[in-house]
Amino acid sequence: MQGDGVKNLILFLLCLTVPVIFVVSGERSAATRLAESSDEASEVPIASAADEGYCSPQLKGIVRRVAGACGLLGEGGRGCKPADAKNVAAMSGDDFNALFSPLAKRAHIVQFDSEVTALDEKAKAEVEKTWAEKGGASFFFVVSRASKDGNADLNTQLSQDRAQAVMTHLQEKFPGDEDLKRVGLLWLGADYAQLGPEFCEWQRSRGGEPCAVKDINRSSFVAWIDCAI
Amino acid sequence: MKGALIAVAVCAVLGVAFSMTSTSDFISHLDRQVHSIHCSLIPGAGAEVGESGCRTVMMSPYSSMFRTSMWGGIPISLMSVAVFAYLVMRSMTFLLSAKTTKRDTLFLIAATGLPVLMSIIYGYIAASKIGEACTVCIGIYVVSGVGFIAAIVAHMSAPPDDGGPAVGIWARYFGEGCSYVFIMVFFYIVFAPTSPKSGEGCGTLVTKDYRDNDTLGLFIEMSKGSKVTGLAVLDPLCPACKGFDERIVASGIDDKVALSAVLFPLDSTCNWMVKESLHPGACAVSEAMLCDRAGALDVLDWAFTNQERLRATAKTDEAKVRKELEEKFPKVKGCLGTAAVKNKVNKSLRFAVQNALPLLTPQLFIGDRRVCDEDTDLGLEFTVDRMLQAQQGSAPSSSSRRRR
Repeated sequence: MQGDGVKNLILFLLCLTVPVIFVVSGERSAATRLAESSDEASEVPIASAADEGYCSPQLKGIVRRVAGACGLLGEGGRGCKPADAKNVAAMSGDDFNALFSPLAKRAHIVQFDSEVTALDEKAKAEVEKTWAEKGGASFFFVVSRASKDGNADLNTQLSQDRAQAVMTHLQEKFPGDEDLKRVGLLWLGADYAQLGPEFCEWQRSRGGEPCAVKDINRSSFVAWIDCAI
Repeated sequence: MKGALIAVAVCAVLGVAFSMTSTSDFISHLDRQVHSIHCSLIPGAGAEVGESGCRTVMMSPYSSMFRTSMWGGIPISLMSVAVFAYLVMRSMTFLLSAKTTKRDTLFLIAATGLPVLMSIIYGYIAASKIGEACTVCIGIYVVSGVGFIAAIVAHMSAPPDDGGPAVGIWARYFGEGCSYVFIMVFFYIVFAPTSPKSGEGCGTLVTKDYRDNDTLGLFIEMSKGSKVTGLAVLDPLCPACKGFDERIVASGIDDKVALSAVLFPLDSTCNWMVKESLHPGACAVSEAMLCDRAGALDVLDWAFTNQERLRATAKTDEAKVRKELEEKFPKVKGCLGTAAVKNKVNKSLRFAVQNALPLLTPQLFIGDRRVCDEDTDLGLEFTVDRMLQAQQGSAPSSSSRRRR
């Protein structure tokens, strides 16, 4: 009888102790790992604005200077006239255009008829399409030009009005959108950074139609810039 | 009788092994990290890191008790270990004793009946509430049933008792069984690791007034009625978000918090922060949700249900997913794919940038405090409860649950 009691007690303790030890040792291991892991910094990346590979230090510097001088870093939406653009970019027209060559797939060219500053339907659609391709970009550049036909003052005025027409359409189409503060307007008239015929190959509102140098310069170049400056 | 008692003991040992496997998986997660989960009837084999029925079951609120009182709660499998360990002891003592009678074996039937009853209850919960089966759990169900049958056989072949009072001895046996459970739970509670981070959270929102300034309609209301606000950062095609959403609903957190969702699709079609689409098609589904905010939760539920298929389809042909969305939810026609709704998705992503959120989903904010990622599964109820207490005014409201 006593032998049975001892056997039962041993069994009772054995069957209870083994799982308890197993559970407690597992918890102690977890506690050790928890203490170690709480000191480690998280390796999960943080959400951030886009900063594409083409955003070289030189390009970022230029974008910052242009954006700053043209008001994009302040209240936004203010435009730069040709003289400002030349001064802040401090480079030739060709070099200025070359800065934007990595944007061949990102930028769109909105075309206008001669001496016309209103957006046609295709131009409106092109502007909206570009606006929707925002991604993580920080700035929206509108760079308007005129062809070399006519006098310099008229061309400057035409390019300014074309830039403004893009802005006005965005304001009408996306009222209250905070990103409108990220829009920078540059109007270059016809005396600085004229586009070459190679830009006819870019995405444009009149794609498929004949395109000469004059046609491609009666335009607004619109693009989101994927550089965190 | 001895053969049947040996069968009961073997079943109980197997029950301990299966229950211990589940308990071990549960305990390993107390370090707040992601671990593999054993999903095989062979102890030690079949560990899986990704989504599986065993993970879904373990992460569900039904896998443990008192979840708001301690991180992760007390696992049901721990009590299963205690019960099977007791059955090992009980069947062995009967086996080794020369005086085992029907009085003892009748108690053994009742004792082995407990795991059978629990197997029926949890089998029903797994089928009806969770919708997933856990291989190890099925192992427990089987050995419970076989052990019960073996106990009946042992009783049928046991010698009759001496006619003495049975209640006293049964009470002693019952007390021993309860002591197994209480001692096991006591040690579990005493040695469970704790972390102060659970109540403090991991960061805060920068844009705290997002609900008041939602002029574009970026935030989707998931529940309402409570004074405390919450924000879930979701990707409609993210498997973890599906499980997270189920836990939110099953644990009743959506009743305690006025929860909104902001979309963060991990799909490179619209999200510049991911170089490869982790969840192809998530941008299209997000657009659909923002096109019809009133029906957004229906779109979300449908997307959660069809996640795998939608991701596979979108990987080769996203347009097909868009077409399916338009057919299933006609209200999104004429909106899906437009500049306006793409702009909204973009703004949702920029919300993450403004608040420097980690590139992962799901995320949960209670008030403006972010629930640490490691607290969004097993420790969700405990952490949210702590945060709600800190927020004050967190009395559960009478709001109706919108999604069941």
